Amino acid sequence: MATVEISRLKKAYGKVEVIHDVDLSIAEGEFVSLIGASGCGKSTLLRMIAGLEPITGGEISLDGRVINAVAPKDRDIAMVFQNYALYPHLTVAENMGFSLRLRNVAKADIAPAVRQAADLLGLAPYLGRYPKELSGGQRQRVAMGRAIVRQPQVFLFDEPLSNLDAKLRVQMRSEIRTLQKRLGTTLIYVTHDQIEAMTMSDKVVVLNAGRIEQVGAPLDVYDRPANVFVASFIGSPAMNMFDATLETSGGKSVVRIDDLVVPLPVRSAATAGTKVVFGVRPEHLELASDGDGSARFPFHVDLVEPTGAELQMHGRIGSTPAVATFRGRPGVREGDLIHLTADPRDFHLFDKSSGERLV
Amino acid sequence: MSAQTPDRGGLLRLLAKAFAILVLVLWSLGPIYWALATSLTRPDELVSRTPHFFPPNVTFQHYARLFGGSSVSQGNTVQSVWPEFSAALLNSLVTSVGATILTVAIAAFGAYAFVRLRFPGRNILFILVVATMAIPAYTVMIPLYRLMIQLGLIDTYVGITLIYTSAFLPLALWLMRTVYQAMPIALEEAAWLDGAGRIYTLVRIVLPLAAPGLIAAALLTFLNAWGQFIVPLVFSPTLATKPLTVLIPEFVTRNYVDYGLMNAAGILAIIPPIVLVIFLNRYLVSGLMAGAQK
Repeated sequence: MATVEISRLKKAYGKVEVIHDVDLSIAEGEFVSLIGASGCGKSTLLRMIAGLEPITGGEISLDGRVINAVAPKDRDIAMVFQNYALYPHLTVAENMGFSLRLRNVAKADIAPAVRQAADLLGLAPYLGRYPKELSGGQRQRVAMGRAIVRQPQVFLFDEPLSNLDAKLRVQMRSEIRTLQKRLGTTLIYVTHDQIEAMTMSDKVVVLNAGRIEQVGAPLDVYDRPANVFVASFIGSPAMNMFDATLETSGGKSVVRIDDLVVPLPVRSAATAGTKVVFGVRPEHLELASDGDGSARFPFHVDLVEPTGAELQMHGRIGSTPAVATFRGRPGVREGDLIHLTADPRDFHLFDKSSGERLV
Repeated sequence: MSAQTPDRGGLLRLLAKAFAILVLVLWSLGPIYWALATSLTRPDELVSRTPHFFPPNVTFQHYARLFGGSSVSQGNTVQSVWPEFSAALLNSLVTSVGATILTVAIAAFGAYAFVRLRFPGRNILFILVVATMAIPAYTVMIPLYRLMIQLGLIDTYVGITLIYTSAFLPLALWLMRTVYQAMPIALEEAAWLDGAGRIYTLVRIVLPLAAPGLIAAALLTFLNAWGQFIVPLVFSPTLATKPLTVLIPEFVTRNYVDYGLMNAAGILAIIPPIVLVIFLNRYLVSGLMAGAQK
């Protein structure tokens, strides 16, 4: 268990900088997910922590010790790779015990350590097998077993579930979370799958083009996205966003979207006339009943997609494409014009020019 | 495929393919068969007017002359050639095996450096090394001879082995480089994070996985070394290092060409490479194919 402190970290390939001044603190025993689209630098960041990518600038410290120049083998960090990277010519037991053998642990001590990790992961029957004789899920577990058997200070997981099928992914998700809680080891997890990041993490780090956009607890990031990028990236289907103008009406702040005027729950500090982006999540939209005083969004239904648990309606509010998600069976058909509403506390407002959150 | 229900075009293609294969087989195996047949034919029938495709009377007398203590040649009892033959066989084996081990060992480490280590001029250096394969052997023969004399390495195992190694190393390096390039670096990274250093990772993780490539490189080097003629002709003047390839043509005497003996010796000389290829050819294919597919 260890803390990880990253300060002003930079990475450049030649003149192209791909990580720009990243600062991040990870507490002891924390489960932190790095999430972002492909090419946002999340894997590069992880590999820099592992020591597999040289650092261009800044500092990484582990428990207060700067490890910039420490070789990967001396960092006491274990990593689970996307393609597992199991040694094909070694058995499961040899794969898992490899790091202990390198540390000159006595043979008599390696076997019980491997056994214990194998029991924890349900791998005991497969210890004598070779990786090619295992299923994808079992290989994944061996990769994890290899990481946990040596009790490192930090685990790094690089998209470990992306090669598994959907069902197994859900199962492994909870297994990894449970395992990490039991071991209490600091874990940094890279994923492009926001469900993985949301369900497993203590803390989510949203990355975009080599910069951290927001750090926070999963629900905080979902409830109060710091900017337009995070708002559109976190949540599925993505948040509906509308170009709007901030106005004042009767001493209260309102936003104007074309002809539609939407009152805000609190007065915004931004001046009237500011160009803004107004956001509301599809799952916060509901059918408006007649006569309640809240804002009503006229919604042209273009497409109704039942997913089983819910109903996704794709359409337009004004001229802007929008999505609404209902849990019930509202009996809406394609081509209908319906009116939607939402709790003003679920509104999001961002500055149009900076993209930063206003309300 | 078309083999089961061949239409007209399919049949033609099949016949053309069969013909091409037949020509190829005759081209490669024909001389070997001729040598085998000659080695089993009596000397008087060898020089008869009508050539025989099969030996009219199979005889093992040429092989007996190779292995026997003494033998009869043209009515005279002569000393056996076994002492020379066995010494040359040993020389062939020592120089070929020595060159193979040295070449593969250097290629295994050198090619890894060319693939995984970053240093200035890496690619240019590699191209220069590989480009030496285009230099014909005879152009370097005289300077090499002078060099070997100065080093006192003429007619020594060390000298011959070093020459072979320098000649065959570029090909082995090239092959091993392709093999390493095809290997996922994640395996090595996993080993580094597990606590292994570069050399340990190379020896324990990379080399076992590169075995087909190493075997292919070894096989090619061995076959090349075993078949060398010009180099040992110049650098192996005596039986101290003279290999079979140089010894066998010397069975020609001033007034008699002993075809039977030469061909018997030749047939014996191709046994080691044939055995090697038969047992290791699957590695040869998979090693040479490295990187060709996922």
